[in-house]
Amino acid sequence: MVRRSESTEEYLEAMFKLSRTPEGITVGRLASELGVAPSSVSQMMRRLVAAGLASRDIDGHVTLTRRGRREGAVLVRRHRLSERFLVDVLALPWDKVHEEACRMEHALSPEVEARLAATLGNPTACPHGYAIPDENGEIAEDVARPLADLQAGEGGVISCVDEAEPELLRYLSSLGLLPDTSVTVESVAPFGGPQLVRVGSSQYALGREVAARVYVRS
Amino acid sequence: MPGTAILGRRRGPERVPARSELVVAIAGNPNVGKSTLFNQLTGATVDTAHYPGITVEAVAARVEWGAQQVEIIDLPGIYGFGARAKDERLAWETLLARRPHVVVAVADATNLARSLYVTLQLLDLGFPVIVALNLTDEARRREVIVDEQGLQAALGVPVVSTVALRGEGLERVRRAILTAGQTRRPRGEAYSPAIEERLAVLEGFGQVCEIGELAALVEHARCRLPQLPLHDDRTALRLAAERHARAGRIVAAVAGRSREGAGDRLWRFVTRPATGVPVLVAVLAAVFAVLFFVGEWLSVLLTTTWEAGPAPLLRRLVQEMVGAGAFADTLLWGLDGGIYAALAVGIPYIMTFYLIMALLEDSGYVNAVAYLSDRLMRHVGLQGRAVIPLIAAAGCNVPAIMGARVLTSRRERLIASTLIALMPCSARTAVIVGAVSLYVGWGWALAVYGVIFAVGLSAGLGLNRLLPGQPGALVMEMFPLRRPSPWLVLRKTWARLRDFVWVAAPIIIGGSLLLGALYETGIVWHFSRPLAPLVEGWLGLPAVAGLTLLFAILRKELALQLLIAFAVVVYGSAATNLNAFMSDHQLVVYALVSCLSVPCASTIAVLGREIGWRATFLLAVAILGVALLVGGVAHRLLPLV
Repeated sequence: MVRRSESTEEYLEAMFKLSRTPEGITVGRLASELGVAPSSVSQMMRRLVAAGLASRDIDGHVTLTRRGRREGAVLVRRHRLSERFLVDVLALPWDKVHEEACRMEHALSPEVEARLAATLGNPTACPHGYAIPDENGEIAEDVARPLADLQAGEGGVISCVDEAEPELLRYLSSLGLLPDTSVTVESVAPFGGPQLVRVGSSQYALGREVAARVYVRS
Repeated sequence: MPGTAILGRRRGPERVPARSELVVAIAGNPNVGKSTLFNQLTGATVDTAHYPGITVEAVAARVEWGAQQVEIIDLPGIYGFGARAKDERLAWETLLARRPHVVVAVADATNLARSLYVTLQLLDLGFPVIVALNLTDEARRREVIVDEQGLQAALGVPVVSTVALRGEGLERVRRAILTAGQTRRPRGEAYSPAIEERLAVLEGFGQVCEIGELAALVEHARCRLPQLPLHDDRTALRLAAERHARAGRIVAAVAGRSREGAGDRLWRFVTRPATGVPVLVAVLAAVFAVLFFVGEWLSVLLTTTWEAGPAPLLRRLVQEMVGAGAFADTLLWGLDGGIYAALAVGIPYIMTFYLIMALLEDSGYVNAVAYLSDRLMRHVGLQGRAVIPLIAAAGCNVPAIMGARVLTSRRERLIASTLIALMPCSARTAVIVGAVSLYVGWGWALAVYGVIFAVGLSAGLGLNRLLPGQPGALVMEMFPLRRPSPWLVLRKTWARLRDFVWVAAPIIIGGSLLLGALYETGIVWHFSRPLAPLVEGWLGLPAVAGLTLLFAILRKELALQLLIAFAVVVYGSAATNLNAFMSDHQLVVYALVSCLSVPCASTIAVLGREIGWRATFLLAVAILGVALLVGGVAHRLLPLV
């Protein structure tokens, strides 16, 4: 694998994750995912296309090429393996591992990556419940999608809750919004407003930012 | 015994010298009737409503049951150990600091599984618990019968069914508290320290370790058990999952399944976007219409009644007792003018408003407002929950600013407090309606609201851009609509109105007397002269009006009431028409300035406590500047309209 700059790697990783969502990769979503300006995203896109990692169709839609997808998967794998290592072996606080893993993933060589996976017993999911791609870059089809994407009347079973705010996770868990609980979206407020979600016999209004962090499978 | 004693172990016998007073805390989920139970047990009138987060402080009252002194503490609602907002943190702090002898865990019989989660957690933490199974009437309507004995057996602690609203089951609660208090159970065998420490970590104390002595406990664990992860979230999640499952099993064994009620269908109607948004607009329009028309009708009714009998009698009485002259006139300022003003402006509009508020709160409609408005509130840096204190602010800013504690970050509390301070409270509404709507026309009154709304909106948009950070995310439990109890609505309206009458009326009469004395002796002109350039030159108002604006810092409606008192004295009570000495434009400017300018003294006091004095000072200065700017500009633009 060619050595890439850290920022190129960040893009590939983010694009791999976005490519697995229904909306796919867009400049806007990449910009918000990476916290950068849309103009820098466009600039990087041109470089990725030139390097044969991404391609742009006539309408401007971005997709990863086979190679780009492969490299992105490896980075996601390294990130999630690192998280596992930090939590399982080093017993690091849960809210810190995401950032630590962001730094670690760029430093791992394929050999260390392989040993890490073997030492951890070839885990298939990260501590948050996301699938870990295998060494060939294949990833189990994610049936989960963010609760925020559900329409009124749809429902599912919570598969995992995203990492950003541990305090929120704990709060949601005391409300009963836990993995393996079924939820139904009762209604959705207009203009991208909150969702009204039923859990058991309780109803909660969840803002979009919160609902986007709760993943459900049908 | 399910209780472990995380807290008990640290509470050695020497620390609790057999206190003669029994300390009882009322805890449980938000909106299950804790405050209603508290009011019933103590005879207090703490605010209650049908939405979560109305109690934001620990309120205590002392009662005497037989020979037993009892202190009862009403706590903000909690969902589990852990706190996102200040009010929830406060509940746990109080529980841990006061270590009550008895914790009354109030459970919602219509949603038992939710309530049992926190009940089980309280038990696991070693609190001596009795369960008040509340809202059993509502549960019966939904055909949910909870087996009280079965629940008692499953939890291993006393369970009492109650309908706190109507006082049912109160006597049994009282007896259960006393029994539990008498048998102050020995602080049984604790788990070994290692297990206790692990448990402390699992319960998430690491996240909230600034709470009470738990910080020390967690620190201790950190030193002794370095291999123990302090934020073991997967295990914490499992614990939460198992506790929820346990609650679910207990409920399956002791309660039937809930059936949908009329409240649920209506709730769906008011939250579905297609129907909910039009309903919201209609409700807001109705609130203003009722306020304008019923308020005005009441105002006319009260003042004509006053003029028909008591007022002439009072004037004759004063004349007979002290004769004519400056002293008699001063007395009339205070008594005749002051009371007339309270009847014309204060009572009718404020009472009407409180009545509407009570209906909205107790039906639970404010939940729907919070849900529907979340998206809009984000533009001003707030979340939907902030709508509730903002609505409350239209009644009175003081409880509203305290209500902002339900918000999760200081940023949000700061923005919310600013908007609340700009929100026309009932007293300011009294000024707008009493001066502008009554004498100039309701269209102008709406325009004044529009200007104030625009100022608030700009402040929110500006602060959202200036302050670093993001609006917090909405997570709020929602409740189906409920038919408000007329008795409770009236009682609540009266409790709030009583505060107005007892607290505000003396200030109004006293203020009128003072202004009267200043006027009759001619001193008033010494005071108003320094203000003249600003008041007369910049705002184009009579100097004496500027003086009443100064008084308004005591109470907002005082400004207008003093103005009316002034009119009564100078032009006689038949000529209470403010138009006698102020033009339409002047009245509009006057209303704008008095509503926008520095918040009243009580608001400033509570602002200082909640957001700090420095921020309060800056806020007050900024608002005063905006008020003068808007007033001056309005004075110059109005003639062009």
